[in-house]
Amino acid sequence: MEQSSLTFRYKELERAWDGEKVYEVFIGPQHPASGHMRFIVRLDGDIIVNVEPDIGYVHRTMEKLAETKEYIKSIPLFERATIIDSNNITLGYVRALEKLLGIEVPPRARYLRTLLSEINRIASHLYGLGLAGIFINHSTMFMWGFGDREIWLQLAEELTGARLTHTYSIPGGVRSDLPQDFKDRALKAIRYMERRLKDYMKIFFNNPVTVARYKDIGILKKEDAKRLGIVGPNLRASGVRYDARLVEDYGAYREIDFEVPVREEGDALSRLLLRIDEIKISMDIIRQVLEKIPDGPILAEKYLRLIPPKLRKTMEETGRVKFPGLFASLRPPPGEATARVEMGHGEVFYHIISDGSPKPYRVRIVTPSFRNLLLLRYLPVGHRFMDFPAIYGSVDYFPPEADR
Amino acid sequence: MSILSSVKRHIDAISTGLKYLFASSRMTVRYPEYSITLRDNYRGMIRYYKDKCISCSLCARICPADAIKMYRKAGEKKMYPGINYQRCIFCGFCVSICPADALEHTPVHDIAWESLEEMIFPPEEFGREWVSPALEEGARRVKAVFDEKRGLTHVPE
Amino acid sequence: MMVLEIIEYIIRLILSPPIFAPIIYPGLVTVLVILLSIIWVERKIAAKVQLRYGPLYVSKPIGGALQMLADATRFFFQEIIVPRDADSIAFLIAPAASLVLPLLPIVFVPAAPSFVAISVEYSLPLVLAISALTPIVIIVMAWAANNKFTIIGGIREAFMVIAYELSLFISALAMAIFYGTLNLEDIVSMQKSLPGVILNPLAAITFFVAMVMATSRLPFDIVEGEQEIVAGPFTEYTGILYGLVMGAGYVQLYILCLVFVELFLSGWYPYIGLLGEIYPALGGVSLFIKAYLLMVFIVFLRSVYGRYRLDQAISIGWKSLLPLSLASVFLSLGLLAAGVVI
Repeated sequence: MEQSSLTFRYKELERAWDGEKVYEVFIGPQHPASGHMRFIVRLDGDIIVNVEPDIGYVHRTMEKLAETKEYIKSIPLFERATIIDSNNITLGYVRALEKLLGIEVPPRARYLRTLLSEINRIASHLYGLGLAGIFINHSTMFMWGFGDREIWLQLAEELTGARLTHTYSIPGGVRSDLPQDFKDRALKAIRYMERRLKDYMKIFFNNPVTVARYKDIGILKKEDAKRLGIVGPNLRASGVRYDARLVEDYGAYREIDFEVPVREEGDALSRLLLRIDEIKISMDIIRQVLEKIPDGPILAEKYLRLIPPKLRKTMEETGRVKFPGLFASLRPPPGEATARVEMGHGEVFYHIISDGSPKPYRVRIVTPSFRNLLLLRYLPVGHRFMDFPAIYGSVDYFPPEADR
Repeated sequence: MSILSSVKRHIDAISTGLKYLFASSRMTVRYPEYSITLRDNYRGMIRYYKDKCISCSLCARICPADAIKMYRKAGEKKMYPGINYQRCIFCGFCVSICPADALEHTPVHDIAWESLEEMIFPPEEFGREWVSPALEEGARRVKAVFDEKRGLTHVPE
Repeated sequence: MMVLEIIEYIIRLILSPPIFAPIIYPGLVTVLVILLSIIWVERKIAAKVQLRYGPLYVSKPIGGALQMLADATRFFFQEIIVPRDADSIAFLIAPAASLVLPLLPIVFVPAAPSFVAISVEYSLPLVLAISALTPIVIIVMAWAANNKFTIIGGIREAFMVIAYELSLFISALAMAIFYGTLNLEDIVSMQKSLPGVILNPLAAITFFVAMVMATSRLPFDIVEGEQEIVAGPFTEYTGILYGLVMGAGYVQLYILCLVFVELFLSGWYPYIGLLGEIYPALGGVSLFIKAYLLMVFIVFLRSVYGRYRLDQAISIGWKSLLPLSLASVFLSLGLLAAGVVI
């Protein structure tokens, strides 16, 4: 049966590795390519027969910490799960909180959230692609990816005031308005990036060495992807058209015309190329957001009313939101709320339970990297040892995000 | 992949490498000699204006890292905030919530201390003005400029 | 009087080719200069392609060119750690051997017309044979360190040797067949008007790729495979021992580049007679320039390519390079049959 092919192969090989023939290699936690985690890789000759991902090296008890903090204080906390994609990961929490509080977000704030989310997505993909480069020792791709990421971080900094820890989305809206020259600068950045992507293709993605290393490696079949609960670009590269931006109504995505890229092959190269496709789509979304963004307040009316008139005036002058004093101790009514948001790595899921006190009773986060971790157990089996970093790089796994 | 297209791709990759080898564009800002001028909305070191403060202690209550603490002097009734930069994460919640505009971000962030004790600023010192040490030592100011061909560049002001 | 005579004697001794060639040029001193400069060049080139500065703050006015000197100094004074389970004698000797062995062939490589330390009829096979000894030392190194990563690295080295060695030899022999001699000096002198690369491009391509494989440069730096096996056979080395094994690769690159230039790029031609009159070795300076530029190109490949997989490299060796090298032999024979004479 097609569906159980992976499991079958895995079980067959599981029997084989219990012997002296198998060579056990520990990749990590101190290793040039392990990230903050360890893999126990078992080899039969040059063939991988078993991989045990050993996670938890950067576990920071985020869910428990959130129970000890007032609601708003958890925004900077969750940001640190995926520091490279901070607006997307906090947006899920903020949306769930808004549902509990029963707050409508004004249109301009929704557009601004979408803007920063897409900037984050591009930066996150460039980070992932850079790492995919260095995993086959292509140092230029690594440096270019991280270098060009700086452009998007600069845009985010101009919008929010911080390079990475934006803390931008808050219940009821966002914290600052578009700077005057933002549109002009963002459009220049997009045109530059489009030009650069062509060079990326030439030096990395079309490079015969890269193609040889990534093509037909770590193939994830459509059925396996669905069954293992994979999310994000890894899922879409296997031919499944699923994206939280499509299924959830959040941000301004319903008002924006965009296509979610899907590829059929499911191999490592298609996972990488899909991220390039997504960067292009994200740049298109940014263009549309800057075109269509409506005027109006960037914080919910309910909270605006609580701000003294004098401060409201400075808010309009500086474009930076002042918090109502209420924010220090938000008290949602008892109940539960969930929210999903599409991050660069995939879908993040939040579940908040409120007991009516200023602190949440429970916050559950399911991060995309945690769900994609399974791939590192299943995909490398049967491949050569040198394919292991290639597969790891193509999955764009981010240990701090999975460990929380 | 046929041999011909493979050869073409090899040549493409090498020529792209050569193009960048001879083109003049660098992203690096050599920091201690050059210092990027941050924009006004940058969330840098926090400056406190005691004369505006109404002692509401909202800043201390909203601080997610417990960096801000209210201090009371012996014999005084009111409490004033002080900050511990060991803990501060520069989220700016305190600045945003301050109902009297007594807290303000400065576009300076490259401050370093020699000991942990120096990072604690009681109310009296919380109001100090921040100057970038690089600029003090004569770094040249550069600002970020977007360019369609070269991306993010930093040009002298 | 005696002192002057002794000094004169020493100068004459140093300037005599059997001493000058191995010690100064193209030997030890040149190798040291190359080691110190080529790594800097490599890092600068990679930095430029990657939109960075590279080494700079050590000797800023000359673009950080002394960076390697600083690194070497650090290597010298770093503690050398011998793992408890390592075979300590082999572990300590192998790095020195890995630097000396690739350096040995220099005594057979002519640097200018009749300027060579040891003149032999069969210099080409001798040079290649001695430089083919290095992998054995690397395997010894890998085994002596007794570490999982080093052993995998050593096995990779063994696999790589069988992948490139045959093609390297056959493509070199293709040129020897065409020129009818195994003496590098004669081969060069026959290329005075026409470099060998034009006559037999197949052999040149094969030799070039095999050379990149032999010296573990990208896209074939499989033995060091940082992302899987940390530093391959060199994982356990610290301090100057690591400095030696790191330098060894560059020494081998230098020797093979010299051989490549002498086989395919007409060696020391154009010969600069004016310099040759001052000292014979100086006349052949174009050999050095060409070899250095070739090295620069090979280290530039680092910023263009990633790394091939081991089995892919082996299949390139056997399925592409070997047939190509055989074809180059037939090309040489064909040229001879067609009566092409230099």
